[in-house]
Amino acid sequence: MKVTAQPTGPVQVLLLDGELDASSAVVLDTELSKPELLKFQKVLIDCQRLSYISSAGLGVFISHLQRLQDADVKLVFYNMQEKVFNVFEILGLDSLMTIVPSQAEALSA
Amino acid sequence: MTARLRFLLISLIGLNWVLLLLSALRHAGALGGALDGVGPAWPTLTAQAGFALVVFLYVRQLPEPLREQDFLGLLRRLVLGPGLLALAGLGLGLLARLVAAGWPGLEPGLGAAIYTVNLGLFVFYVARVNYAWRSLVLFKSRSVLRRGWPLFELLLGFGLLFVLLDQAVPLALMYGLLGALSLFGVYLSANQKWVAYLSTPQRWQAMGYETLILGGLLLFLAYFRYAGRADAHLTAPAAQQAFLLLTASFAAFYAAAGLLVAFFNLPTSVVFEQRRAEVLSLQCLMQVIQRGQTAADIYRVLLESTIQTAEAHAAWLDVEPAEGVLASPPPAAGRYELSAVQTQALRAAFEQQGLLRTEFWSNDLTAQAAFRGLGLPHRSVLVQPLATAEQYYGTLYLLKNQPNGYETADLTVLQAFTSQAVLSLENLQLAAASLQNQRVQDELRIAALVQEGLIPKKLPTDDWFDIASYAQAAREVGGDFYDLLLLPGRRLAVLIGDVSGKGVTAAFHMAQMKGIFHSLMQPNPLAKTERTRYPVPAQFMTQANAALAHCLEKSSFITASLFLIDYENGGFMFARAGHCHALYYSSNQEKVEYFQSPGLGLGIIRGPGYEKHITNQFYDYAPGDVMVMYTDGIVEARDGAGNEYGEGRLLLRLEESYYRPADEIRTFIMADVHAFTAGQPMHDDQTLLVIKFKLAQPQV
Repeated sequence: MKVTAQPTGPVQVLLLDGELDASSAVVLDTELSKPELLKFQKVLIDCQRLSYISSAGLGVFISHLQRLQDADVKLVFYNMQEKVFNVFEILGLDSLMTIVPSQAEALSA
Repeated sequence: MTARLRFLLISLIGLNWVLLLLSALRHAGALGGALDGVGPAWPTLTAQAGFALVVFLYVRQLPEPLREQDFLGLLRRLVLGPGLLALAGLGLGLLARLVAAGWPGLEPGLGAAIYTVNLGLFVFYVARVNYAWRSLVLFKSRSVLRRGWPLFELLLGFGLLFVLLDQAVPLALMYGLLGALSLFGVYLSANQKWVAYLSTPQRWQAMGYETLILGGLLLFLAYFRYAGRADAHLTAPAAQQAFLLLTASFAAFYAAAGLLVAFFNLPTSVVFEQRRAEVLSLQCLMQVIQRGQTAADIYRVLLESTIQTAEAHAAWLDVEPAEGVLASPPPAAGRYELSAVQTQALRAAFEQQGLLRTEFWSNDLTAQAAFRGLGLPHRSVLVQPLATAEQYYGTLYLLKNQPNGYETADLTVLQAFTSQAVLSLENLQLAAASLQNQRVQDELRIAALVQEGLIPKKLPTDDWFDIASYAQAAREVGGDFYDLLLLPGRRLAVLIGDVSGKGVTAAFHMAQMKGIFHSLMQPNPLAKTERTRYPVPAQFMTQANAALAHCLEKSSFITASLFLIDYENGGFMFARAGHCHALYYSSNQEKVEYFQSPGLGLGIIRGPGYEKHITNQFYDYAPGDVMVMYTDGIVEARDGAGNEYGEGRLLLRLEESYYRPADEIRTFIMADVHAFTAGQPMHDDQTLLVIKFKLAQPQV
């Protein structure tokens, strides 16, 4: 899976492309662990090309939640595929994380 | 050689010598009476021949004088043993002369006795020297030479016969034999292979010893000539001394040849030693792997060996920082006679030239402007990278002060060293990876054992429900767990869940959940009502979440569902903490549906606030209803094309089988799942629980 960072001003956009399994979860973790990330106001995760997410991938997002929250950085997911959203929903993460349909809504969230 | 034979030989030696002494004394007229005077020569000659023969035979059968490759030891023992003895004998002779000068009456007898003693010592000395030379000649020799030596001995034996054959020796035969033996002697003397194995100081010592041995032989020669001139009947004509002369000549010739060989080969010993040092360094490098050393050790040995071999004045081993199994503190300054600043400048210069990580060799560094600017005193450089097609380990730089310091041969030798070092590093990596793999295998085995122990062995039974279960763990332990408890008051608690992650840690958390379940499902003695006797499912989840928060790994979480079924009330309460929605057939509505309820998984919110994300659900059941609980290993099972089994199929299967008993429903569903996956490997644990509510017998 590829992670592309597209910083735009106070907003960091991370584009996920592919399957987020156990090995690519490490890549994501590295990206989210970068100290510069905390300098942004918002971190948007573009999930349009994210075809699959494993429990390892979910675990990575969960583990960074608190850290981002403490630094007052808003984490927003958008353009999620139905299958992937289903996984978030079953786990109950839709009530914990901000998941919106489009980028426009993400920017204004 | 047996002790008896040795005793026999020594006795014969003694006997012969006494005979020699007697005949010498008789010749000298020292015996007195009728025995004196000149008689037939043959007793003396026989005694002489016999003596020489037996002495040589005796020395021949002595144990091998050369031990291992201790050539100097051999020479030293020759000089100190027989050599000193012989010298003592000569000293005695000298003493005798002095004494004779004072007491003329003693002269004939004493002189003869001393002469015989010295003759004996001389024969012994020559025999020892000759057989020491045999060891040296035959050292690492070809088989031709090994077969040649006994022939040499045979010819010498003929020489011995001449002693007996007085005047009857045809001249032609004599000269023929002499010629053959001389040629043979020269040929044998050319075999000085042992000299090559000595280092320079050792060669000087060897030359010293050989000079002494030669000296000894010459001294004896002088003595016998002097004695012969002084006393005519003591010695015999040359032909009769052929044997002794020949053996003594060979001894002297070999010693002289050895001396010359050692002397003229002194310059070459330097080269020989160098080559040997290279081989030893290479061996040392190879041993480093076997002793299980670290990468740092390999680099150190490589640097030291190559500096020595290349005779470098400065060197630098630029090691690429390693990751993974070879990661260790970088080798402490792989620099020799170079400062950190200089090495950085050197690297920059090479990089600029586009020569980084490549083989390079220059015999005049200052010819290139880039290197001139470095201000280094070195003029020759050898650069060799340590790399395979897949991986780059580092680069070795060797520098010399003078120009034209290196040649092609040096580069070849250096490559041998670096190849060996790379091989050692690769071996280290492989060994570490193998160990790692072994650890993983062990971990999985332990986890599987734990998981096996956690599966409920006996399902609770009662007349108001039927339970059937299916549990299959994936090869890599996945983390599914389930448990059932029959509580007093005709209540059934059912727990099902899934720990994210794999291996031993998942197995531990599975065990933990089971423990939490059993300990929380205890009746509260202070409860006022039946309702509050046991924790309600949402409460259970909140408490479980709090218990797990302390030890769950950073990015792990647990999904779980707890059902508390109450027969008396005909209903059940449940809480779903992020787990798959349960499937339910309602006999009243004649419909199969998934429950829909909110609820966050465990271990996601580690602090307070989790209770807001979990709720209790209530449902009344009727006899004939079927509840199917499962884990995602079932709905996410894939077929050959990558399609998932999915909730849809599960629902359809229950619609087709709800009327059957629980175990048949279970078997039916699992058969369909297996047919779907059709031999595809299982990636996650699969767990299925089927509970069918029955029309119960009224309780007595």
